[in-house]
Amino acid sequence: MDRLPVSSAAEVRAYARRLARGHPRALALAVAVHAAGAICGLAMPLLLGDLIERIPRGTADVETVIALAVMFVLGQAFLSGVAIYLSARLGEQVLAELRERFVDDVLAMPLATVERAGTGEVVARTTRDVGLLANAVRQAVPDAMLAVTTIVMIVGAVLLTDPLLLLPCLSAVPVLWLAARWYLTRAHAGYVRQNAAYADLAEGLTQTVEGARTVEALGIARRRAERADHDIASAYSAERYTLGLRTVFLPISDLSYALPVVAVLVIGGLLYLDGLVSLAAVTTGALYALQLVGPVDVLLYWLNELQLSGAALARLIGVRGASADPDAGVGADAAPAPSRPSAARPPSRDIGHVTFKSVSFAYHDDHDVVRDLDLEIHRGERLAIVGPSGAGKSTVGRLLAGIYEPRVGSIALDGLPTAGLPLSELRRRVALVTQEHHVFSATLAENLLMARPDANRAELEAALRALDAWDWAADIGLATPVGSGGLDLSPAQAQQLALVRLALADPHVLVLDEATSLLASQTARRVERSLSALVKGRTVVAIAHRLQTAHDADRIAVMERGRVVELGSHDELVRAGGSYAALWRSWHGASEN
Amino acid sequence: MRGVGLTSRLMRLLPEPDPGAPDCRSPLRYLVWLTTGLRVPILFSVAFGILFMVCQALMPAAIGRALDHGLIARDRGALLLWGAALLGLAAVQAAASIAQDRWALTASLGASFRSTQLVTGKSSALGASLRRQVPTGEVVGVATDDIGALGRAFDVVGRAAGSAAVIAAVAAIMISTSWRLGLVVLLGVPLMLWVTGLLVRPLHRRKHRVRDLQGELTGRAVDIASGLRVLRGIGGEEQFSTRYQEKSQQVRAAALRVARVEAALTTVTSLLPGLMLVIVIWLGARYVVAGTLSVGELVTFYGYTAYLALAMRRMSSSAHSLTAGYVAAGRIARILSLPEGREAAEPPRSTWPAAPGPLTDPVSALTAPPGRFTAVACASPCDASVLADRLGGYAGDGVTYGTSPLRDLPRDEVRRRVLVVDNDARLFSGPLRTELRTTADTSDPSEASGTADAAGASGASDTALLMEALDTAAARDIVDGLPHGLDTVIRGSGHELSGGQLQRLRLARALTVDPEVLILVEPTSAVDAHTEERIAARLTARRRGRTTLVFTTSPVMLGRADSVAFVERGRVVAEGTHAALLDDRRYRAVVAREENAA
Repeated sequence: MDRLPVSSAAEVRAYARRLARGHPRALALAVAVHAAGAICGLAMPLLLGDLIERIPRGTADVETVIALAVMFVLGQAFLSGVAIYLSARLGEQVLAELRERFVDDVLAMPLATVERAGTGEVVARTTRDVGLLANAVRQAVPDAMLAVTTIVMIVGAVLLTDPLLLLPCLSAVPVLWLAARWYLTRAHAGYVRQNAAYADLAEGLTQTVEGARTVEALGIARRRAERADHDIASAYSAERYTLGLRTVFLPISDLSYALPVVAVLVIGGLLYLDGLVSLAAVTTGALYALQLVGPVDVLLYWLNELQLSGAALARLIGVRGASADPDAGVGADAAPAPSRPSAARPPSRDIGHVTFKSVSFAYHDDHDVVRDLDLEIHRGERLAIVGPSGAGKSTVGRLLAGIYEPRVGSIALDGLPTAGLPLSELRRRVALVTQEHHVFSATLAENLLMARPDANRAELEAALRALDAWDWAADIGLATPVGSGGLDLSPAQAQQLALVRLALADPHVLVLDEATSLLASQTARRVERSLSALVKGRTVVAIAHRLQTAHDADRIAVMERGRVVELGSHDELVRAGGSYAALWRSWHGASEN
Repeated sequence: MRGVGLTSRLMRLLPEPDPGAPDCRSPLRYLVWLTTGLRVPILFSVAFGILFMVCQALMPAAIGRALDHGLIARDRGALLLWGAALLGLAAVQAAASIAQDRWALTASLGASFRSTQLVTGKSSALGASLRRQVPTGEVVGVATDDIGALGRAFDVVGRAAGSAAVIAAVAAIMISTSWRLGLVVLLGVPLMLWVTGLLVRPLHRRKHRVRDLQGELTGRAVDIASGLRVLRGIGGEEQFSTRYQEKSQQVRAAALRVARVEAALTTVTSLLPGLMLVIVIWLGARYVVAGTLSVGELVTFYGYTAYLALAMRRMSSSAHSLTAGYVAAGRIARILSLPEGREAAEPPRSTWPAAPGPLTDPVSALTAPPGRFTAVACASPCDASVLADRLGGYAGDGVTYGTSPLRDLPRDEVRRRVLVVDNDARLFSGPLRTELRTTADTSDPSEASGTADAAGASGASDTALLMEALDTAAARDIVDGLPHGLDTVIRGSGHELSGGQLQRLRLARALTVDPEVLILVEPTSAVDAHTEERIAARLTARRRGRTTLVFTTSPVMLGRADSVAFVERGRVVAEGTHAALLDDRRYRAVVAREENAA
């Protein structure tokens, strides 16, 4: 399902170790303060046991004991507060490092991986896994850490009180261990299913709300209600499953908490009656056993969460694998091949010359989308690629942009194979704009500057003007935040924005994959022409669904089933009377029928 | 046992066939309405909650007895007896705890599922007017957050009641054992609650701030991830990485401010019960020395005081959930009480005309003659959606169908017979087969059940009809490319489909409805020329004899229409066939794709 890599458990452990080693002092300090606090907390039963032992004998000094107790209470309160702060400080630091690192890893992912995995998967990891991890670091990890420290201290204290009481105190461990294992192996899947069911429920309701108009138009209110009922039923059945698990596990664990208390009291009591342990030891031991309940409960509670966050961490650091993977290589910044003569720029008159030589490409092994393609695109030429959907037009664009490598054959850009060019080099040479329009949540200016960070305001204005976008851009204001959380741009505006970016980036070869599909046709045509004027001398490959784009091009390639079946200028193709001519006639000819 | 039988019976009932009519005049009334419907599970949840907490509270007492009667009195039998009693208490407590869990879940799910059903129904009933009345985000927030918060409030009621009861019970036991010690506890508990409360408020405020910042941070990461192809294609990684880091460090700083308050809160919540424990032991030890209190009773008091801290913490977290539930109930009630518009309030003044008539908008002078395929070319794209909304009866006044004003006709009937499909129309997630085959709900329930019986027999013809519609919309190749064909589950509103694919599927869906009047807004704007040609030919053939109005600037589509209306500045300025209109210079400027003619 996950098309992005996931790290193995061993990698996650190694990573966690590295993280821990990265902050040895902070970690040691947090643990030490936790432990000191826990020790203070253990003093009270000891003092009480001592008091009970001495009072009947008349040797008790109540006031001294109380003074000591106050000191320990103060100590515990202060130390636990400090421990919380220390672990939060460490946790937040680790968390910030993790998420910043993750975003940088995402930003370094090779284009091919991004294309293959789809942005949805990346978005899911960004929201779900970073969120899971944040919860874990803020709550599960410190709580579990404190619980473990406390448990260790209590068991140690029992051992110090009287070694004979250790066994009764640990009497519940086997039962609890088995029950917890049984529960945890099932709970994970159960709660995952439950969360998925609730995600469906929320999605269904969200769609009903967002699509309320469509619901009204199609008159499908009842169907939406049925969908909600169906989702409720699945959420409900998932809830019943996890409830069933709890019904088995919780009574066992609840009884297991009481068992050590009873065991210490009864066994310890019998030992006391036989004169083997002191009354103080039994009292203190029983109170310690009682004190164990809290931390053990906390630990069991967070175990599931910790399991989940381990999986989340595996997915987050898995992205690094994708970024560093040399096989995914196309466009990987990390590994520029020094042997390639990329630095030596070819003579300028050759810039933007593209050759496809017997290129075949398949997304899946069985089916070639592009078959044995030979195509030469000259410097400064405007080539339009038309054809029915599924003909392989977009794939040609992606191959040219170096996102994919041909299965067979080669693509050369000014004599250099595109595959394996370092990303910075590739960007300077080829840029691909698709109909996917994304407006970043930043100011309008920032949305443009990403293509050329050193552009000044006048240059931005010129580019916007050239592409017919200045009127609305000036209306909105260049400093106005747009995108999610800011002003919403229309899809057409977003597409214009993408083209302005392209103009600013000014690569040698522009690949426009239905880049104007969302503009009204008159605007589209105007924008396309202004863009051509703006990037005059650059090679433009336009994958078009509008014939006017084809008409305006120097040459047209008609693709069908992965092959170029017709190639020539508009007039040549119309004269040739092939499939392009037939289509062209239908664009006009409808009036002649 | 009555309780168990009742749980399974109640639990089978979810989801309820009919959630009923809620009282949503205020958050409180809505909560009361829910509570009334869920009184049985709530009562049991409270009862078991009290039993559970009481058992837990009695354990220190049993420990005390074991010490007094078993150890100090050196009585082996009494020791074993009290040990067994302790184990018995633990068993009852465990049973009560899980029973409480089950009943609390029933109450919680009852409240949240019922609210889900109500909000679903209300959104559908509000339809297009929902967006005009409330920002969609607010209703979506109800769907994702508030319903859950409401459920949690019903979940904690039982344990909150148990905690309250046990605090009272422990106080009573202590006062009866030693009134002075009891009083210390009785005064100490509210004091501790009050001081803790002082710190909780700034904590929530700061936590809120962290949540907001975290939300913004996630937003930024999502923004980067969604635009990753653009970023990787054109640059700007460093810029965005820096922006993310800045936000990330802001979150870290805010989280540290939370941690400071949390640390203070931890100190206080550990200090106050600790000090109280010391006071109890101090006073208790003096009474033991004086002989007015037994050693066992002292241990019992110790146990109680420690236990009270737990009960109090539970109380305060329950109080938080209950408050959040109240706020959520307010938001849900607000959505549920939105007025459903004048159409629902006023009875229709006309009945539907027997024969299809022309659909006419006097403002723009646009008419869709019955049984004809009319295309409309708008000089401005905005005009198309405004006109489509008017003609579909979503906005404005004055549109007539036949001789009747549209607004006088029953709204349900208008929706059923006049279908407007624009590019904002939504594809819902689910198996493609069901999502495309949208037979509108019938208003008569008996008719509906009849349809359900016939469903099996009509399954094959349904598929055939769907295939026809897909063919007409040139969308067969999309379905063929999906892993399970028509049975593929489309998720997340079809985000994995391209704009052109979505457009064709939307068209196919509209065709399965086969409405009396079909109004399409730019149905082929994202489709390539080859495919557009196919769609235009098949669509006109399929709609022959039915009223169809298509807003488009595609010459292919315009050329196939029976007649074309040309709209400028919201009014029809020319009419005729595409061929005839091409002589009009303004029209040609809008639709012409031939350069030489210009």
